[in-house]
Amino acid sequence: MAEAALQSAEPGVAPNGPVQLCVPPEPSMSRVARLAASGLASLAGCTVDEIEDIKIAVSEVLIALIEHGEGGRIDLEFDLARPGTVAGPHGAAFVVRGRSPVTSFALDHPDLLLCRTVLEGVCTSAEIGTVEGHAQIVAVVAMAEPN
Amino acid sequence: MTGPTNDDSVTVDLDGDVIVVHGDIDMAGGPVLEAAMLQQEEQDPDGDRPLVIDLGDVSFIDSSGLRSLLGAGRRARARGSEVVLRRVGSEVARLLDITGTTSQFVIESHRG
Repeated sequence: MAEAALQSAEPGVAPNGPVQLCVPPEPSMSRVARLAASGLASLAGCTVDEIEDIKIAVSEVLIALIEHGEGGRIDLEFDLARPGTVAGPHGAAFVVRGRSPVTSFALDHPDLLLCRTVLEGVCTSAEIGTVEGHAQIVAVVAMAEPN
Repeated sequence: MTGPTNDDSVTVDLDGDVIVVHGDIDMAGGPVLEAAMLQQEEQDPDGDRPLVIDLGDVSFIDSSGLRSLLGAGRRARARGSEVVLRRVGSEVARLLDITGTTSQFVIESHRG
C-alpha cells in the first residue's frame, strides 16, 4: 500500500512521496496538522470542499489518537494516491494515516464512534484499528480528477 | 462584549446573554467553549432561559467541538430549556447533518 501510495497525483506540483509529521499528543497539534494537510492538499489541486473534508479527517484522526490513545507520540502521514492504486482504487485520493503506540484501544467507546461517524461522512473510506501495538487510522478523501 | 477567553484556536465573548464564538471549535477550542457555556448556565440558576450561541465566526468544527455543544444541549433539556444556535455556517451545519444531531438544537439562523 505504501509503495502504491508513493505515486504522486500531480508530479512536479505535489511532493513525490508522503509527507510525515511526528507530533506530541496535545490538542494544540490539531490545528498545526490541519494547516500542514490543507497546504499540501492545496498544492495538489484539491478543491475547497475537498480541503475542508481533509481538515476534518485530520482532526478526527488526532481526536481518536489523542483522546483514546495512551499518550505516545503520534505519527501522521499525508499522501496523494493516483487512481487505480490500493489507496485510490476508484480515483485520485488524499490519504491521511495516523499511528500511536498503545497496549489497548477502546474501539467501541461512544466518543470514538462519533469520530468514526464523522470520518465516514467526509471520507470514501476510514479504517480504525490496531496494528502491531499501535492504534492506526487510515482515512481516504476522494479528489476530483485533475483536469 | 465582556469576559473574553482566549486560546490558540478559539475566542469566546459574551454579548449580553449570547455566547459569541470566533475561530476553530476543535480539541483545543472545545474546552474553552465548554467553560464559557458552563459559566453562562451558572448565571441562570432557574435554567429557564435558552442558551444562545452565535457561531457566525466559527471557521472549523470537529467531533470534539460538537461534543461540547451536545453536552450543553443535554444539560439544557434536563432543566427544561434548550440550546439555540445563531448564524450557523456551512461547516457547523454539515457536521450536524453528518452526525444526525441537528434536532438536538434550535437553529435560529444561518450565516448569510
